[in-house]
Amino acid sequence: MGNAFVISQSDKRPIYLQIMEQIRQRVAVGDWTEGQAIPSIRQLAVDLQVSVITVKRAYLELERDGVIVTQQGRGSRVASNPGLGMRLQQQELEEHLEQALRLADMLGIRHKDLEARLRETGERRMEKEGEQV
Amino acid sequence: MNGSVIRTLILKDWQLHRRLIMMSMVGAVIALAILHSRNETAFMIGAVWYFVVLFVLASMLPISNVINERKKQTVVFLMSLPLSALQYGMAKMVSTIAIFLIPWAAMVVAGTTLVLGRHDIPNGIIPLMLVLFILPLIGFSIIAGAALISESEGWTVAVTIAGNSSYWLVWYFIMRNPAISGTLNSPVPVWNAQIMDVLGGEAAVIALILGLTFYLQSRKQEFI
Amino acid sequence: MNDLAIELKGVSKRYPYFALDNIHLEVPRGQIMGLIGPNGAGKSTTIRILLGLVRQERGEVRVLGHRMPSEQVAAKWDIGFASDDMGLYEGMTLAWHMNFVRSIYPNWDAPYAQLLLKRFGLRAEQKIKGLSHGQRVKSTLLLVLARRPRLLVLDEPTTGLDPVARHEVLRELTAVMTDEGRSVLFSSHNTQDVEQISDRITFIDRGRIIDSLDKEAYLDRWRRLRLELLPGAVLPFLPGIIGIRQEGRLAVATANAFAADMANAYESAGVRVKSVEAMTLEEIFVANVERSREEVEV
Repeated sequence: MGNAFVISQSDKRPIYLQIMEQIRQRVAVGDWTEGQAIPSIRQLAVDLQVSVITVKRAYLELERDGVIVTQQGRGSRVASNPGLGMRLQQQELEEHLEQALRLADMLGIRHKDLEARLRETGERRMEKEGEQV
Repeated sequence: MNGSVIRTLILKDWQLHRRLIMMSMVGAVIALAILHSRNETAFMIGAVWYFVVLFVLASMLPISNVINERKKQTVVFLMSLPLSALQYGMAKMVSTIAIFLIPWAAMVVAGTTLVLGRHDIPNGIIPLMLVLFILPLIGFSIIAGAALISESEGWTVAVTIAGNSSYWLVWYFIMRNPAISGTLNSPVPVWNAQIMDVLGGEAAVIALILGLTFYLQSRKQEFI
Repeated sequence: MNDLAIELKGVSKRYPYFALDNIHLEVPRGQIMGLIGPNGAGKSTTIRILLGLVRQERGEVRVLGHRMPSEQVAAKWDIGFASDDMGLYEGMTLAWHMNFVRSIYPNWDAPYAQLLLKRFGLRAEQKIKGLSHGQRVKSTLLLVLARRPRLLVLDEPTTGLDPVARHEVLRELTAVMTDEGRSVLFSSHNTQDVEQISDRITFIDRGRIIDSLDKEAYLDRWRRLRLELLPGAVLPFLPGIIGIRQEGRLAVATANAFAADMANAYESAGVRVKSVEAMTLEEIFVANVERSREEVEV
């Protein structure tokens, strides 16, 4: 357990986010099941050769998202009925949306037209993916 | 008082100098053999050889045992061990002087047995011989102490040269005392009060040198 | 029981051309503290003072509860110190050194020592003089790691090591953390190592502590903002921004106390925030040192 985790140095994101993502993936795919015990904070830190405080942060955020549960003296487990939470990603999306609105205002684009732009961008992307398939 | 760590350090120094110790013992044995020859020239050569061995050792040893540990930074390794600067200094002084004592003791024994064995040399010379033999021991203690405290090769060499040049002066002052020089020709060793005073004084000087060295070592603000 | 492995309070020491000034440093038990700073900043001096090898002129030093330098002998039973300027006996073998340390420390872990020999790729029968620089560093570390000391103090443990050797050393250092009673303080130029394994980071420059905090919180406070000034706009002064580089209408701001509302503050002043980027510890290091030097000159 914990030995297929790989922290990428070229990945610009902070290590704690990478850890969170990899734990979420395991839960999403079903490799880690409800209630299953997961490596202790210290053990994962040693396995990944990162600081304890980084793993602690990842676990704390995951707990806030409802993905895992940590009990004093009992270690950590996958939560029963784990929401994949994604609270941070929700926050990020919210920030991006705020910024899009701000830019639109600066460029003089109306919000209605902004919605249309978003749809167009989505369609273009699907076309590209369709081509690739 | 952390005796086991100090003991380990002393043994370590002996191990590091095993080659030097071996060579000085061989040198002493050779000199001893030559000294026992009846040939006057051979005798002279043997006597000179002895002093050469002693002086070379006395000059090299403080540098090799004390100064080099600083130069090669092994002192940093040693100070990471559970000991204080003073304990390190004590171990150093003991190991340095102890290594020197081997050829020195060989010299004393050789000299004494030689005099006792040869009938053309009066045994009365033995007390004086002892007094004179202890002088290089005192000198060596000073050099070892200087090496430890100064931590500098330059100062150690300077003290070595000063020490070696002043033997003759001390020798001269001792010989001037008629109570000592008068007993030279006696067929039996004479241990009179003056001789005992001088011997006692020499022992006191060595104790003083060690005491001063340990005191200065313990006062160092910065060990490395 | 004091829960600090290392505690320096108001430590000062003066040299002819350098002074350590009012150093406060705390390493809680069970944590790894990374000490970074430029050459000559005072890292090695600070380490020597906390080992009792140099006596401070002012201030208090406590290591594992022992007052230093007076109780250094007691402390050093539980401290493992290795530095890149530490020499071993050239004419003797690594095995001799291992036996030497073993004869002093009763808690030498022989099986672990053998494992380390294998992991570090060292041969015990080899004489020190035949070893490369990297092998010497690993040998010195082995001698210290195999004792499993409660506190590891390492001065530049990965400097001069090839990437594989560095990886091996970091692996052993982090493995120390399996036991939450053990602590590590290490100084390094290699900001990547410090960023990766430290729980706390202390920055030192020119004899003074610039910053000392929890690593994640610290990295979170620093951001680089890429800005574009709209015509007629002027860059506002924002608290928390410590440096701005501007060329024409483009600018880059460095924040050491980033706040979420900074973007809004800029936008309201007519400055578009093109991106907000995290900074690596190396970039933070350089920004910090430059700032502290400017302050001194002013």
